[in-house]
Amino acid sequence: MEAGANEAGRLNAAVLAVGRARDRAAFQALFDHFAPRVKGYLMRLGAGNAVAEDLAQEALLTVWRKAALFDPAKASASTWIFTIARNLRIDAIRKERRPELDPNDAALLPQAERAADETMAWAEAEDRLRAALAELPREQAEIIELSFLAEKPHSRIANELGLPLGTVKSRIRLAMARLRVALGDGT
Amino acid sequence: MTISHHPGEELLLSYASGAANEAAALLVASHLALCSDCRMSVAAAEAAGGSVLSQVAPVALDRNAYDAVLARLDAPTAEIVRGANLAGNVPAPLQPYVGSDFDNIPWRHIVHGLSYYPLLTRDGTRARLIRAKAGAGVAEHTHRGEEWTLVLAGSYRDVTGRYAVGDVQTTTPQIRHEPTADPGPVCINLAVTDAPLVFAGLLPKIVGKIFGF
Repeated sequence: MEAGANEAGRLNAAVLAVGRARDRAAFQALFDHFAPRVKGYLMRLGAGNAVAEDLAQEALLTVWRKAALFDPAKASASTWIFTIARNLRIDAIRKERRPELDPNDAALLPQAERAADETMAWAEAEDRLRAALAELPREQAEIIELSFLAEKPHSRIANELGLPLGTVKSRIRLAMARLRVALGDGT
Repeated sequence: MTISHHPGEELLLSYASGAANEAAALLVASHLALCSDCRMSVAAAEAAGGSVLSQVAPVALDRNAYDAVLARLDAPTAEIVRGANLAGNVPAPLQPYVGSDFDNIPWRHIVHGLSYYPLLTRDGTRARLIRAKAGAGVAEHTHRGEEWTLVLAGSYRDVTGRYAVGDVQTTTPQIRHEPTADPGPVCINLAVTDAPLVFAGLLPKIVGKIFGF
């Protein structure tokens, strides 16, 4: 757990360094860590090698360009980069627009405007959430993971697992309730 | 503002994972603009996505990938917009589709007091805006699939209860209802359906067919 938290802190700091100082060493560390994971994520979702390669490069280029908007009080580096990869994929592969929240939302404000203790509080909340995710009953964790790595409606996930849709939905509700509690106050 | 009806956690998770199609995502994003509680659920789901990303089996990039990206770092790009100031009465996620003011939408008249505006269709899922004056509504119908209705202005009621700004009503094929706008300001909804409605009466059947409901 401790090592995981340190690594998350190191990755957050690297995005901040890119955003504030265009720090190329920090960017290379982010590239080495995230580009192969983004490529792996896209290939799990069915992208071919060439498309996944292009989009992984594009995702890291987006990290460079938007690093000044990264706000560690709203998301960790890996969560932020997940949303970048997700949106690039929707745009490039599905050719759809991604409706997003209000651009006035604090998620898009520069991180300098956020207090340090908010940043710390969020990093701790995501650590708790990861711990909660690891402790979910296998049957719930499986559905959450498939939701991200198999682009299928939950009805098809249910079919392939040989489960009634109602069972899949109730596992999602139970899992989401635990994750929200973890994010909220950890009790 | 108290919101009593939310999209299910399943739909929020689909939005966070990116699996939801654009029509469903538009409804969720517009609800999120009004509901801090569901924003927290989506934040939790996206953090789970971040965790999935960090644990996925990595796949090595081309040998020259890093140099290729480095070569593009200094290329000029469009200015990143920070917190553009949005005005108007339309939730931000909807503004790219219809502009900022409900009054400037070219509403299409259906019957007295009722009009609509088609937004988009994706994978058989349709998103449209429905505008109903007090007492007007969509004729009694059931559903072949699921229907989500997000209230953006005013309020309406049906056999299941009352729905006001921010609420999302989720209906399944079993529900037979005749949603009717409450007295007061005009009621505007974002309706997303994954199958055509099934109207009970003959005239609504014909009207529904003409307008593609």
